[in-house]
Amino acid sequence: MTLLRAERVTLGYGGRPVVHDVSLGVTEGGVGLIGESGSGKTTLARAFLGLLTPMSGNIYYGDQTLKKANLRAFRRDVQPVFQAEALDPRMRVGRSIAEALPRAARARVGELLEQVGLDPALAARRPHELSGGQRQRVVIARALAVGPRLLILDEPTSALDVTVQARILDLLASLETERLLITHNLAVVERLCRTSHVLFAGRVVESGPTARLLANPAHPYTRALRDAVPKLGGAPPEARGRTEAVPAATGCPFRLRCPLAVAACEQAPAPRDLGGAGGTGGMEGRRVACHRAEDVLSA
Amino acid sequence: MIEVRDLKVRYGGRLVADVPELDVGAGECVAIVGESGSGKSTTLLTLLGLTPDAEISGHVRVCGVDVLTASPRALREIRGARAALVMQSPQAALSPATRLGVLMRRALRLHGRDGSEQAMARAVAEVLLDPEILRRYPHEISGGQAQRFAIALAVALGAEAILADEPTSALDVTVQAEVIGVLRRLRRERGLALLMVSHDLALVSTIADRVLVMKDGAVVESGPAATVLAEPAHPYTRELLEALP
Repeated sequence: MTLLRAERVTLGYGGRPVVHDVSLGVTEGGVGLIGESGSGKTTLARAFLGLLTPMSGNIYYGDQTLKKANLRAFRRDVQPVFQAEALDPRMRVGRSIAEALPRAARARVGELLEQVGLDPALAARRPHELSGGQRQRVVIARALAVGPRLLILDEPTSALDVTVQARILDLLASLETERLLITHNLAVVERLCRTSHVLFAGRVVESGPTARLLANPAHPYTRALRDAVPKLGGAPPEARGRTEAVPAATGCPFRLRCPLAVAACEQAPAPRDLGGAGGTGGMEGRRVACHRAEDVLSA
Repeated sequence: MIEVRDLKVRYGGRLVADVPELDVGAGECVAIVGESGSGKSTTLLTLLGLTPDAEISGHVRVCGVDVLTASPRALREIRGARAALVMQSPQAALSPATRLGVLMRRALRLHGRDGSEQAMARAVAEVLLDPEILRRYPHEISGGQAQRFAIALAVALGAEAILADEPTSALDVTVQAEVIGVLRRLRRERGLALLMVSHDLALVSTIADRVLVMKDGAVVESGPAATVLAEPAHPYTRELLEALP
């Protein structure tokens, strides 16, 4: 059974929905939530952590809704990893980690620091005395302290230099916990997540195995994202469609930006399995919400 | 357009940037790449005389003016008009209570340029913005729009060179693609010289003619972007390339 999943979840602030009717589970091999600023990915992460109550739909922890679940067990099983700025600047990092441990287990701080590749002597330092990469490792050590089964990571490496990022990604890939990763960086998702969901304007527009989804996108937005990523020695990144157009309030939210939009797109496309139910011909596990998916695939 | 020889920038005796040679001609794009603390931003700011507390030696010419010996007045003329600085988050530098049109008109008039509605509409249209944006306040526009507005302002002021510090790293990739598209077109059509500081080697490889790789204040490698990034000679450049996810 999936440890954590959303079922038809709508989320919002002040009664205004920003995430619409999303269903997805944290499956094995890592799950990525991909999207741009304002796509709702962090809002969804907050709901998965129980920090935001859905306006409708449910988050399931095992077979229980989060509302009814044993929160003590939930907090032990599901741990967040945010950007390193979340550390208390006045607290020695050893104490930051120890706080998460039962009193009897506080000696494990050194062991946890070693697990994330840090010298245990760094426990006596405060966050500002560490580099950005070291701080991010401390945040990970703190999350690992309670022995979680799942880490929810929100842009864990986006503030880091590339060489530091590479080592943090190695560390995350080596951990045995399951992971739900929120990022705008497609390369990071490719590295850490077997399955990905692409969010646009609070809706999942495409889902599937990460490698296939990025190699052969079925949604014009996924394709636009992929083509905009600069590649070493490649052509300059290409802007497809108008990035400025706001999401459409009715019909397909992407249609005002979409180079392929037709009259039919004024009706919201329902998510559907590609290659028929269950998927065939390399389309296993792939879902898309687009009237013109076949045209995107064959382009 | 930009010519640097034996530039050394020190803070409190500590050498933070050491650039033996850097040239950017009209229509060219040169990128300085490196990680945090490499001295790349310090180098860029020094070229515009924006590191007043530093001890600087060497030779820096920007748009024909010797930056290190120029009078404050001459420096202002360079900075405000002929060589424009584009920062990572231009929104932070735009006065929050001033409409963009008012801001643009003031800047244009200050430098004796045409501040008419038509001239401003033409300027923003050149970076693919709707002239309607001139009625907005800075918080009402997106990061990508703000970045393009900053570029429009530079072009309207007659910039011959743009010095950009991580101009797209705070933007989504699709928006980045648009901003880069605008910069490429200005280089081609107006012969704009572009000096860009970036940590994104992949991006740099797609638009820069030449590249300088900096580490701990020193230029460890430089040359044509295609050569440096395809056949890196310095171990640090190789490390940077291998670290790309």
